[in-house]
Amino acid sequence: MFERFTKDARSAVVEAQLVARAAHSDQIDSRHVLVALAESPGPARTALSDGGVDVADLVSRARASIEAGDALDPAALAAVGIDLDEVTRRTEATFGEGALTRAGRILRGRRKHIPFTPDAKKSLELALREAIRLGSKEINGGHLLLGMTRAESPARNILSDAGADLERVRHLAEGASKPA
Amino acid sequence: MSQQALVASAAGDDPAEGLRAVRAMRELADRLETLQVERARRLGWSWQEIAESLGVSRQAVHKKHNRRI
Repeated sequence: MFERFTKDARSAVVEAQLVARAAHSDQIDSRHVLVALAESPGPARTALSDGGVDVADLVSRARASIEAGDALDPAALAAVGIDLDEVTRRTEATFGEGALTRAGRILRGRRKHIPFTPDAKKSLELALREAIRLGSKEINGGHLLLGMTRAESPARNILSDAGADLERVRHLAEGASKPA
Repeated sequence: MSQQALVASAAGDDPAEGLRAVRAMRELADRLETLQVERARRLGWSWQEIAESLGVSRQAVHKKHNRRI
């Protein structure tokens, strides 16, 4: 499938890895790909901004949502009686400021490849189907956007939260993704 | 959700909450292990000594940490 990706679609997949690394995510889901698409010029970003989406707001919402899903979730730890603030305070007393964050980076950083969630894989498969439906041999960023908005996905939820008119954005993405 | 409600849900019957707590604890343990092993090595501990403290084999601890520290 990847051999059919256009340059912008390939770079979105690569950029999604960087988004995940920056947020210390241990998996890449459709939100990471959405951030990558929204941050680079291409048919997806054009469809979003022409569709009236505040792209900067969308990106910051998506990043905040990704960071809230950090594996070291304070609420989940509090649920079993662990006070992450207190653990952080004691850890930093021995290992210096930001030690737990640094350790998270060490754990993730050396990993060559961050895996895609089933949701992200499904979005990519749907992007392929969208490309076929539109008669395109190639898969571009517009198809990726169509793929992640075709069915329920974390990316589609972020778009809805950001007030995007999904029908309109999809229509514009289709227009930008028809074969030349 | 209040802390009390969260505690109730984790100790209660919602697998999603309980599993999320397990994942967070594992992540926390991994990060603390990384910091402690790094420091022990800097203080001159052998892989054998670290392994014994962690209750695992020397090979296991070496494989897990030698690449990153």
